[in-house]
Amino acid sequence: MLKVTGLTKSFGKLVAVNNLSFTVSEGERVAIIGPNGAGKTTTFNLITGHLKPDRGVVEFYGKNITGLKPYKICRAGIGRTFQIVRSFPNFTVFEHVLVGAISRYGPRAQMDLLKNQTENVIQKLGLNAKKNTIVRNLTIVDKKRVELATALALKPKLLLLDELMAGLNPAEIDEYIELLKRINEEDGITLIVVEHVMRAVMKLCNRIIVMHYGKKLAEGTPMEISTNRDVIEAYLGEGVAYA
Amino acid sequence: MAGHNKNNIYLKKSLFYPRAIRFLPIIITIVILIMLPLYASSYIVFVAAIALLYAMVAAGYDVLLGYTGQLSFCQGAFYGIGAYLSAILTVNYGWSFWQAMPISVLFVGLVSAIIGYPALRLRGAYFAVTTFFLAHFVYLIFLNEVSLTGGPLGFRGIRPPEPIGPLSFESMANGYLLILFSFIIIYALLRKFVNSNVGLILKSIEQDDILAESMGINTAAYKLLSFVISAIVAGYAGTMFAHFFRLLHPTTFSWFLSEMVVIITLVGGVGTLIGPVLGAGIVTFILEFLRFAPEIRYVGWAIALIAILMFEPKGLMGLIKRIGVR
Amino acid sequence: MIDTIVLTQLLNGFILGLIYGLMAIGLTMIWSVTDLPDFSQGGIYIISAYVAYWTITLLNVPYFLAIPIGALAGILLSVAFERIVYDRLRPSGVLSCLLAAIALFFLLENAANALWTPKAKIMSVPETEVSINLFGIVTSYHRIIIFIISVLLFIFVHLFIKYTKIGMAMRAVAEDREIAALMGIDTSKVYIATWALGGALTSVAAILISPLYAVWPGMGTLPLLKALVVVILGGFGSIIGALIGGLILGLIETFGAIYVSAAYQHGFAFILLLLTLSLRPKGLFGRR
Repeated sequence: MLKVTGLTKSFGKLVAVNNLSFTVSEGERVAIIGPNGAGKTTTFNLITGHLKPDRGVVEFYGKNITGLKPYKICRAGIGRTFQIVRSFPNFTVFEHVLVGAISRYGPRAQMDLLKNQTENVIQKLGLNAKKNTIVRNLTIVDKKRVELATALALKPKLLLLDELMAGLNPAEIDEYIELLKRINEEDGITLIVVEHVMRAVMKLCNRIIVMHYGKKLAEGTPMEISTNRDVIEAYLGEGVAYA
Repeated sequence: MAGHNKNNIYLKKSLFYPRAIRFLPIIITIVILIMLPLYASSYIVFVAAIALLYAMVAAGYDVLLGYTGQLSFCQGAFYGIGAYLSAILTVNYGWSFWQAMPISVLFVGLVSAIIGYPALRLRGAYFAVTTFFLAHFVYLIFLNEVSLTGGPLGFRGIRPPEPIGPLSFESMANGYLLILFSFIIIYALLRKFVNSNVGLILKSIEQDDILAESMGINTAAYKLLSFVISAIVAGYAGTMFAHFFRLLHPTTFSWFLSEMVVIITLVGGVGTLIGPVLGAGIVTFILEFLRFAPEIRYVGWAIALIAILMFEPKGLMGLIKRIGVR
Repeated sequence: MIDTIVLTQLLNGFILGLIYGLMAIGLTMIWSVTDLPDFSQGGIYIISAYVAYWTITLLNVPYFLAIPIGALAGILLSVAFERIVYDRLRPSGVLSCLLAAIALFFLLENAANALWTPKAKIMSVPETEVSINLFGIVTSYHRIIIFIISVLLFIFVHLFIKYTKIGMAMRAVAEDREIAALMGIDTSKVYIATWALGGALTSVAAILISPLYAVWPGMGTLPLLKALVVVILGGFGSIIGALIGGLILGLIETFGAIYVSAAYQHGFAFILLLLTLSLRPKGLFGRR
C-alpha cells in the first residue's frame, strides 16, 4: 500500500536520507531500525509531508502523495505519532481524542457518533479512568497514550509510530506490543514503527528495514536481520537497548 | 448528571443550583443595560455604547488571539474600513444603512480573506509585524484619500440608521439600544461558535498547530476562518460606530486603536471571550472618567497592563477565578 | 542640473538608510539572541531622543556629548526592561514577552506624551547645520556626521561580535541557546550585553536623526516598524543584512517619495515587507 522510491533529502551538506526505497503491504508490521542519525525520523517526516524530499516519490495505494501538506496525507489515511511526544496540554483526555474524531468525521458530524468513537478508542487504550484529566497533568507515558489514541481516532489505514516504546519498562512494553498487535490484526491497521527497543521489534514485527547513514542497509525478517553481518557490524555492534 | 439527583440532600448542601439560576447574573446585567437610558445621563449612555463597541471588537478578536493564538494588530483597520465604507455608501451614494451595513461587512470579510490567505502562513512575530503595517497602510489611505474619506477634515453628516417601522434610531438611547442588541446577538453567536466542535479545533491549533496539522486538520483554513470572523465582527462594529457617532476622523483608526483592542483583550483575559468584554467595559469607563487627567490615564493604564502581564497573565478572568467568585 | 538633485536625494536616502540600518542591527541582534522582536525599542528610541534634547536645551551640553548621554539612557532602559520584565515573563513564552514589549512601548510613548506634551520639539544643533558643498551637492554637515558615526558604529559592532568574548557568546546563543548554555555560557550576561548594545544603537539612531526631523512622542512607531522590515529584509540575525537592507529601504523611500507618492512614502516599507515575505522569506542574508 505504501511505496517509497528513491527518497532523498539533504540538509545542507548532510544527506539525511539517501535514495531510499521500500514498500509496505497491507497488514504488515514493519520496523525501521538503525543507529541514531540514520535518517529514520526524517523518513517519517518525508512520508507524512512535514518535509519535502529533494528527490523521490511516495505513493499510497497508488496515489502520489509526495510533498502534500500533512493534513492531506493524514486524511488519506496515514497517521503518526512523534518522537518527542506532542499534545494539546490544556485539553482533557476526552477532548484531546475527540479532536481526532472531529477531524475524521468533520465538525458537523453527529455528536453521538463522535462521542462513541472517542469513548471506544479511550477504552481500547485503557485511558478510561483518566478520561477527564487534563493532559498537561499526565505522565509522559500517558501522554504518549493520548497521542496514540488521538491518532487512532482518525481511523488510519497506516500508522507510523516514532519511538513509542522509549522510556517504558518491560511490562509496559509487553502491554504495548499486545495492543499494537490487536490494532493491527483486529482493526486492520498497518504499522510502521521506528524503534530502538530491540525486544519490542523482534516480538512485534514481521519485517525489519535497517537504515544506516540514510540508506537502506538491509531488509528482512527478524531472524534474517539478527544474523545479518552488515547489520551487526553497523548497528547492533554499537550497543543497543535490549529491554 | 443533573437530573436524577435533585432530591439528594448532599447536593443541596453543595452549591448546586438548578441550571436556570446560572443565567441569573447574565439576565440581571442585560436588564440593567437595557434600562440604562432610563436612569443614566446621556453621557453615560454614550460611553456605554462606545464600551459595547469595543467589547464587540475585543470579543471577536479573542477568537483570533485567544482561541487560535494569532497576535494581530489590524482590528483597527477592519473597524475603520467598515465605518468609512458604510459612511461613504450612505452619505455619498444615498444608500440606506440597512443596505450599506451588510455590504460593508461583506467587504471587510473579503479584504480580510484576501490578506489573511498569504499572511497567515507567517509565523508569530512576522504575522504580527505584517498586520501592524497593514493597519498603518489602511490608516494612510484614510488620511490621504481626501476625496473619498475627507481625510484630516473628517467625514461628517452621517445619518443614523433608517427607522424600522416606528422605531427610529435618531436618539442616543435608541442608537445605544441597537448597539446593545447587536452586541448580545454577536456575543451569543461567538460563544456558540467557540464552544462548538470547530471551536475545539481552533483551540487545538492554538496549543500545537503542528500536531493539529498531522491529525488531519487544515490549520491554514481554520486560521483564516478565525481571522475573517474577527475581522467581520470588527467591521460590523465599525459600521455601528459610524452611524452612532456620525463623524469619522482618520486618527480614530490609527494603530492605537488596534493596540487598545489587544490590550483590552489581554487585560480581560485572553481566551475566555467574556474577559475581553469585561475588559472593554472597564477600560472604556476608566479612561473616560480620567478625562480630567488626559496624559496620566494612558500611562497609568500602561503600567497596569504591564503589572497584569507580570503578575496575572490571565487578566481579569484569572483574577476573578483566583478570588473564587463563582 | 537634474543630476545634482538626484545625487542629493541619493545621499539623503543613503543617510536615512544608515539610520534604519543602525536600529535594525540592534533589533536583529536582540531578536536572534533572545528570540524577542523587541517592540519596546520604539519607546527607547523616543526616550533617548528626549533625553538628548533636554541635555542640549537645559544643560547646554554640546550635541556630541548628548549622543552618549542619550545612548546611556537607552542602555539603562533596555537592560532594566530585560531584568525586570522580560526575564520574568520568559517562561511564559514568547507571546507574553512580545505583549510586554508592546506594553512597554505603549508606556514610554504615553509617558513622553504626558511629560512633554504632544508638541514637537526641534532639536537645533547649529554646529552641524552648516551647509557643505560636496562634489557639487549641497548638503549639511550633519549628514556627514551621521555617516561618520554610523560607519564607526558598524565597524565597532562588527569587531565586537567577531572578536570579543561576549560577542562570540552572543553569536553562540543566537545559533542555539540550549547548547550555548550547556557549554557554560552565562545566558543572562549575554542577554544583558545584547540589550545594552541594542538599546545603544537604537538611541544613537534616534539622536542622530532628531535634528533632521523633530522630537515628539509619536516619533518611535514608524522607525520601529521600518527597522523590523529591514530586519526581515536583511535576514534574521544578519548584521550585514540589516545594514544593506536599511540602505535599500532608505533609498527606496526617498526616491519613492519624490517620484511615486509623497503621501504614501511610509507605505514602501510595507510593500518591501510583502515582497520579501513572498519571494524570499529568509531575507537577503538570513540563515533561518
